Amino acid sequence: MPHPQKPLAGFRILELGPYVALPMTGRILASLGAEVIKVETNKVLDEMNFIPAWSRGGGQPEFQRAKKRITIDVRTPDGMEVFKQLVKVSDVFMTNFRRNILDRWGIDFPELRRLRPDIILMWQTGLGGIGPYYTYKSYGILVQHMGGVSLMSGDEGDPPATINTSYSDYHTGVFQPVAIMGALLRRSLTGQPATMESSIFKSGAVTAGPALLDYQSNGRMPQRIGNRDPFSAPHGVYQCQGEDRWCAIAVKTEEQWSAFCRAIGSPGWCGGAEFSSMESRLANQDRLDQLVSEWTGTQTAEDAMTWLQEAGVPASIVSQGKDLYESDHLKARDFYRPTPFYLADRERPAYEWDHKEGIAASNPPKLSESPMDYGPYSNIGEDNDYIFKEVLGLSQTEVDRLTENQSLF
Amino acid sequence: MPLEAPADGVLLPPYRVLDLTGPEGVFCGKLLADYGADVVKIEPPGGDATRQRAPFINDEPSSERSAYFLFYNTNKRSVTVNIETPQGQDLFKRLVASADVLIESFPVGYMKSLGLDFDALKNTNSGLVMASVTPFGQTGPWSGYRSSDLISLAASGFMQITGDPDGPPMRQGNEQSHFPGAQYAAAAIMGALFYRDMQGGEGQHIDVSQQEAMITYYTDAHPALAWMQRSENVTRVGTNSTLVIPLGAYPSSDGWISAGIITPREWDNLSQWMYEVTGNEEILNDDYKGGNQDRAPFNDIITALVIDFTTRFTSEELFHQGQERNLVFIPVNTVSDLLIDPQLEASNFWFDIDHAEAGGLRYPLGVFDSEEVSPSSNPAPHLGQDNEAILGGELGLSETELSDLRSQGVI
Repeated sequence: MPHPQKPLAGFRILELGPYVALPMTGRILASLGAEVIKVETNKVLDEMNFIPAWSRGGGQPEFQRAKKRITIDVRTPDGMEVFKQLVKVSDVFMTNFRRNILDRWGIDFPELRRLRPDIILMWQTGLGGIGPYYTYKSYGILVQHMGGVSLMSGDEGDPPATINTSYSDYHTGVFQPVAIMGALLRRSLTGQPATMESSIFKSGAVTAGPALLDYQSNGRMPQRIGNRDPFSAPHGVYQCQGEDRWCAIAVKTEEQWSAFCRAIGSPGWCGGAEFSSMESRLANQDRLDQLVSEWTGTQTAEDAMTWLQEAGVPASIVSQGKDLYESDHLKARDFYRPTPFYLADRERPAYEWDHKEGIAASNPPKLSESPMDYGPYSNIGEDNDYIFKEVLGLSQTEVDRLTENQSLF
Repeated sequence: MPLEAPADGVLLPPYRVLDLTGPEGVFCGKLLADYGADVVKIEPPGGDATRQRAPFINDEPSSERSAYFLFYNTNKRSVTVNIETPQGQDLFKRLVASADVLIESFPVGYMKSLGLDFDALKNTNSGLVMASVTPFGQTGPWSGYRSSDLISLAASGFMQITGDPDGPPMRQGNEQSHFPGAQYAAAAIMGALFYRDMQGGEGQHIDVSQQEAMITYYTDAHPALAWMQRSENVTRVGTNSTLVIPLGAYPSSDGWISAGIITPREWDNLSQWMYEVTGNEEILNDDYKGGNQDRAPFNDIITALVIDFTTRFTSEELFHQGQERNLVFIPVNTVSDLLIDPQLEASNFWFDIDHAEAGGLRYPLGVFDSEEVSPSSNPAPHLGQDNEAILGGELGLSETELSDLRSQGVI
């Protein structure tokens, strides 16, 4: 029996745009077997090529692995012509540029549809491609505030609690593959293409979820209760031995409370009336948290977690980078894997960049029959020859001419 | 398996998805249901535990009024089956026989203990795509460990980078652990259905670890790489960056506003505007010019000047007037702001859904907008509302058989 192809084998996806959400979508689709062509059009290298600054590019593979990477200056007439030829041979075009920028370059969705009538279009922006904010600029790390989550986090009266990342981008990044694969299936069954518009703002706002219903029906604003839980105690992070080391503990049931008490050596206070029911533990949780901290203060975070988990109590270290990098659990699951990267350098063309070795996370879902490809890692423009000559059929003379006039670079 | 085309205006074919998930995976079924899959929630006869979760609509406790349940189960149907009884298992297997997808989030090993693990179920249906979303995945030394929202936020490292650097690691509110694993599971399920229906493959099992999924939701903080390359742990930076100035949330006259000044030109625009408003020439100091991290040495004085400026405006004023000057000011919203936001209003984000007990409410469903396809807008199901249609109509159980199963506590 012939071995079936990868899930998205035979589908070609054109990706135009930097940052987090869109490249993440591209990586997922590429890892499922699509030929994802990442078009880089900015001769002034965008900041993503340098992330993180201290590594000058070590963070790029996690966004770009398994893709073909090409360089076209779409602002030149010849470059635009090559871009349009790529549209004609693609099943999906996805971009995260705002309308004013697409207009400036002459990228117009109805025209793309004329070039390739059944193309699926995914247009992703920060705040929205249509509607009153359509020209508005945004930065990923700030959009988490717009979706409502930061004012549901932290303690009452504190500033909005920020997660130190472009958080809402990731929701968009993983929503989009679902939408794109759905649209491709729909096209194969009905012959109908689709144009879809998504934004980081909307993706973040969806996660406000039940709190939106509570406000509408009860007029209640989300409570900010830090690490506590409305229904259970002890519930929080407790300081352990070492610098900035913490163990999170969540005792949700009476059974877990008994197990917790046994695991910490059944101190006298555990049996007191103050803590004999969930109600009383909630009522006395300031005192309870103090007593739990006294115990965790005598433990390493790892030991506290292991003691409690072995007893059946939900508990975890607050993982730091070292913990993740050295984790036996993640190693057993082959989560982080070696990857090359290239030391980004504004003074030299990409093909002269130094080759380094780093690591990248693999794709989280483990599919038993068609595993997601970790894939190779291409440098900027590394796949120009393959795409221009083999996919588009341009001659060497033509590629030389376009390179000479800087349409390809 | 013959594929039925999606109905007009619907994205997904009506794939039958059996949803056994708890909080770890409940959003996966919702996402597929919102976009057109036929998702059947399999509940124990007493109802899914989250039906009892407060708050309730109009603060009236009822298994049909939990805000949590109503949000996470839109567009699903409901049948009750006790899969811990032999008759329930038999019934469940008959449902699996005609299903495309099964999603579950039980502790690792539980399904096997009932004889309902993937290896057993694929004998019933070789095309079955089964996805398991669990805190730490199906394999590895932590796979048997227990979790909760807080524990997954800690284990993934989310908390390590959330909150104030001088305070404890902070939990993100509103159960953010529900999303990454469930979203990846939905994407992987779509991939597995492609593999089966477009490439001639078999069904398969998908193992999603919440911890791994969540680690990738802060990829741009590079926690493991930072340890590998420079023996440093990335950590909390609080509400405002100490490297990029200004970046973060600042008080306005009526709440909070977030701002980010990255390029030299943005700084020039902002400092000129601040000077126009405050008349304080200090902000025009040449030492402060430049991009990205050039202002880090002057954090304290610049932050004080920025706050003197932002507190003279409402958040709305800064948001719109900032954008006119090509500056990124972004509102810090709460739920009441979202419900009246004109951008969400204009992009088919909200769907009015009427539920027989909970009444009419606006639900946030439209993660993407399209003229061709749109989410469905059916309310979360009443407990067991589809027993007759699915167990009776599809499996062919008679009224007597159904009533026997009911009295035996199987359905």
